Amino acid sequence: MEVSLNCLKQFVDLEGLSVEEIAHGFTFAGIEVEGTRPLAYGTKLCIGEVLTCEEIEGTHLHVLSVNLGQKYGTQQIVCGAPNVRSGLKVVVALEGCELIGGKIGKSTIRGVESHGMCCSYLELGLDRKYLSDKDLEGIIELDSAAPVGEENVLHYLLLDDYVLSLSVLANRPDLLSILNIAKEAGAIFSRPTYPIKVEHLETYKTDFKVGSETEKCPQFSGKEIKGIKSGSSPLWMQRYLMAMGVRSIDNIVDIGNYVMLITGQPLHMYDVNKLPERKLVARDDYEGSFVALDTKSYDVIKGDICICSKERAMCLGGVMGSLECAVDSGSTDIVIEAASFYAVTIRHTSTRLGLSSESSSRFVKGTNHFQSEFVIDYASSLIKQLCGGEQFSQTIIYQSEKEKPIQIETTYEKINSRLATSFSPKEIKGALERLNFKVTDKGNKFICTVPSYRLDIERWEDLSEEVIRLLGYEHVPSILPTFESSEGSLSESAIKINLVSDYLLNQGLDECLSYTLLSEKEYDETFTTIFDHDAYKVMNPLTDDHVVVRTSLAHSMMKNVIYNISRQTKDMALFEISEITTKNSYTHHLCIALVNDKHEQGLLVTRPYDFYDLKGLVCGIFETLGVDASRYKIVSNDQVEELHPGKSALITIAGKTIGYFGELHPTTITKYDLGKNNVLLAEVVLDDIFALKVSTTKMEKISKYPTISHDLALIVSKEVTSQELLHLITKTANGIVTSCEVFDVYEGKGIASGTKSVAITITYGSDTHTLEDKEVTQVEDNIKFELNRRFKAVLRS
Amino acid sequence: MSLKDNIEELRKTAFAELSKIVSSADITTFRNRFFAKRGELALLTSQLPSLSDKEKREYGSLLSRLREELTSAFESRSEEITLEELNEKLAHEKLDITLPGRGNSIGAKNPFYIIRDEIADIFLKMGYEVKEGPEVESDLYNFERLNIPKDHPARDMQDSLYINENLLLRSQTSNIQARVMEEKAGKPFKIICPGKTYRRDDDDATHSHQFAQIEGLVVDKGINMAHLKATLEVFAKAMFGEKREVRFRPSFFPFTEPSVEVDVSCGNCGGKGCSMCKNGYIEILGAGMVHPNVLKINGYDPEVYSGFAFGIGIERVAMLRYGIDDIRRFYTNDVRFLEQFKKKVS
Repeated sequence: MEVSLNCLKQFVDLEGLSVEEIAHGFTFAGIEVEGTRPLAYGTKLCIGEVLTCEEIEGTHLHVLSVNLGQKYGTQQIVCGAPNVRSGLKVVVALEGCELIGGKIGKSTIRGVESHGMCCSYLELGLDRKYLSDKDLEGIIELDSAAPVGEENVLHYLLLDDYVLSLSVLANRPDLLSILNIAKEAGAIFSRPTYPIKVEHLETYKTDFKVGSETEKCPQFSGKEIKGIKSGSSPLWMQRYLMAMGVRSIDNIVDIGNYVMLITGQPLHMYDVNKLPERKLVARDDYEGSFVALDTKSYDVIKGDICICSKERAMCLGGVMGSLECAVDSGSTDIVIEAASFYAVTIRHTSTRLGLSSESSSRFVKGTNHFQSEFVIDYASSLIKQLCGGEQFSQTIIYQSEKEKPIQIETTYEKINSRLATSFSPKEIKGALERLNFKVTDKGNKFICTVPSYRLDIERWEDLSEEVIRLLGYEHVPSILPTFESSEGSLSESAIKINLVSDYLLNQGLDECLSYTLLSEKEYDETFTTIFDHDAYKVMNPLTDDHVVVRTSLAHSMMKNVIYNISRQTKDMALFEISEITTKNSYTHHLCIALVNDKHEQGLLVTRPYDFYDLKGLVCGIFETLGVDASRYKIVSNDQVEELHPGKSALITIAGKTIGYFGELHPTTITKYDLGKNNVLLAEVVLDDIFALKVSTTKMEKISKYPTISHDLALIVSKEVTSQELLHLITKTANGIVTSCEVFDVYEGKGIASGTKSVAITITYGSDTHTLEDKEVTQVEDNIKFELNRRFKAVLRS
Repeated sequence: MSLKDNIEELRKTAFAELSKIVSSADITTFRNRFFAKRGELALLTSQLPSLSDKEKREYGSLLSRLREELTSAFESRSEEITLEELNEKLAHEKLDITLPGRGNSIGAKNPFYIIRDEIADIFLKMGYEVKEGPEVESDLYNFERLNIPKDHPARDMQDSLYINENLLLRSQTSNIQARVMEEKAGKPFKIICPGKTYRRDDDDATHSHQFAQIEGLVVDKGINMAHLKATLEVFAKAMFGEKREVRFRPSFFPFTEPSVEVDVSCGNCGGKGCSMCKNGYIEILGAGMVHPNVLKINGYDPEVYSGFAFGIGIERVAMLRYGIDDIRRFYTNDVRFLEQFKKKVS
């Protein structure tokens, strides 16, 4: 809320406090002052009278002789404003005057010396939205009584004010009122506050009726006023409104706005003569279209609050009045409404219709239901004063609820113990009383009565906050809690995720973070087939970019890859681990991208990333997690079409596919417009790996007998995998093969097409004895025989 | 010429030749000429048997002295030559030691994770449990259990992304707190809950529809504001430096009472005020004493138990720590950005 400091000072004594002190005091009592600014600015101004005004030929400029009184004498000033003329009283920015736009110096314009500048309101820093066309076009025209030589010009113009931008917390709607801010300021600075002076008016008895047929409007007060005259508001009111961000319209509208700013109670005014009958009733069963003051038509449905007169909606309660009974410059007789409405209803109506007003935003936050009579009296006295109101009816009141002040019973000790403070009862009581709470001691307890405008106070804990925000958080000491000793702990899956992440980081991959929400366009079915891809969608997205809750990480990873390639980073190795939420599951996925070349020794030795780099990482993850190779399988990929069919694989655990890895299919490369880039991708559901039990490690004895290694070079069909060969060798080994590994694979020259040469080293050994040649030869012969029988493998000669 | 003269002659010749040795080839030549089976020393020695006993003794000892002296001089000379030649050879084998080493350079963590893990570590050391929870959450855990009933004005403060009327992308990680209170069923505990959160917000340099929090919650008998202050001081000093001070400003959150904004004194100016801070302090998090309604709703008697809670924005802390200018940088994963954060120790 924007607050005029001068306006505030009408209701609280803030003399001697600087703007900075006031802002600091407010902020540390819970009313954050986001900024302060002067309403207008100019350091060296003076009122002058234009004595002579002559055109400078060939220009729009005039050279003036301006009388600035005794101190500054008569000065020559060049002025370009169209409204300058002799005899006019003007505001002069003297040489050395600082304005928002800069400092005024002596200058020579078109060969004519100028000792100052005649100012417009814009030059004094006023916002153009508050200025009339006349004010915008030219310099300020002061009235003829303006005192020449007066230097306190901003004061003369009622512009010597400061604006405080308050950030009012959601639980303090009462502070959307200058009066309540004044009470708060009085408490914060221990200063006296001044009540509003309301003039007592003679009233007549009226037959006008107000009422409510809905609990959503528990209170409705009205007053009929006759004989008003529309006109402009006095300058003081215009200035206060401007400081608080409201444009002045005319005296009657301005009074409505001003009273709302001062009291926090929105008012509405009806032209009595335009109402269908002399009665206004709040209802929530009205249906139909409604033309509001903004001239737009809105569909009102049952549940909205309408103020009706003879079955017609005259006002969308708390939101906006109707055009048909609006008060305008010709209105003479009006009814003022000060009502209370349920916040929830106003919020629903306002949100549904996309229609909000200063009133609706206050009702949505909450208003004081028990001050309408006072507010109407205050508005009436202003109307009498400023609009010439002639006859005032009695206030007609509908009130369905009784004011029941909240009383809280608690102890000083409880308050101190929550805050860890040692305030005396006197200090606590004093703080609460400064905030207009009534405090009555009752034995070692006290009873605290909450003022009706404090909608946020319900229990003793709330009082503890009142005490500490007023007495200051610096009184809270710093003491670490003493707990029963407990061990800090991460969940098992968090520990395992950290292991995987550390492993990949040490392998040189960079760890990414990306958005959970994708656009519908980004989130197509690619890369999702093997995972649960029953995706949640946001029903109220703010933009099309963030709609689908991703069910895999590949889309985000591809985005990272494309982002970097387009910024000339060609080679990269990235990964991301993230929770994945679908309609059916909550899991953690890992996604890896290897792109273009691996730098084995800077750029000295590079080679394209390939399938085996990814396989190494995938198997490394299992190894990191202590999962034995026998627990999972790497099988050929017959499901993920986005990958190269021959250079990709699936990872399965007990028959369930938990991930894929491999090179992107050329059509995928084309789809992502990746040209000649070499991209490999892997995605795995980590939870499926985490769920595997890890056996405890026990040392195995190391055989003390020597081993014998033999190499076998075989020619087999290309279709035969090395795993099949090794598996058969181990199976046929009669328990004396301790290891066998492929050390060379060759295709090409010298090898018939469709076949390949696979060289395997087999190590024989035994835990119980030194093997004899005979034993080894026999087993090896069996191996060769079986290899030939099963795979038609022949020894390479 | 007598044998004696011959010996003298050989001595002269041999030492003269020895001084001419400059290469390993010379060494071989020399060794062959003087020390070989039929070399010059052997030749003279072979004449000894034909001499008288006296001469044998005299010339024998002369010869063996010569052999000893020559051998020693030769060996030391040849060692010198070998070393010189080795040095020369090695000098030609010099590598450019400034070329890069082989193998992987280590990968870099997105700074988001560095800060997330650092914050978690601070609280792990103080004995907190780290808890996770669902991202798509029901209205019950995201709002109602946290003292934000339907139609509460606070729901305007956090305009959320809904899946349907009852499900939403969590707007804070407090949903985990509600779930943990249910799990702990009335027993005291202390937890932190890191996680991604979502708001209906446009993305710009300081706003993001997705950001992450670490919320903390402690519930026990006798917990008070001093405990909160001290705990956050431990965090602030560990994260931003020993000399940092913590300051509370009154605020409002529906789940705490009293509620505070927590400022940390600026490390750049030491609290005097500078371009990086607001009057010497930087706002880092929101906190407060757990609202009695939250305790009650979740099965704790507020007259017996009390607690404190706080919520730290991970990106915000990372931005302050590393001087990161735009929250979107965490999410675009520019390798040139990521690789600035390789350090595992700082």
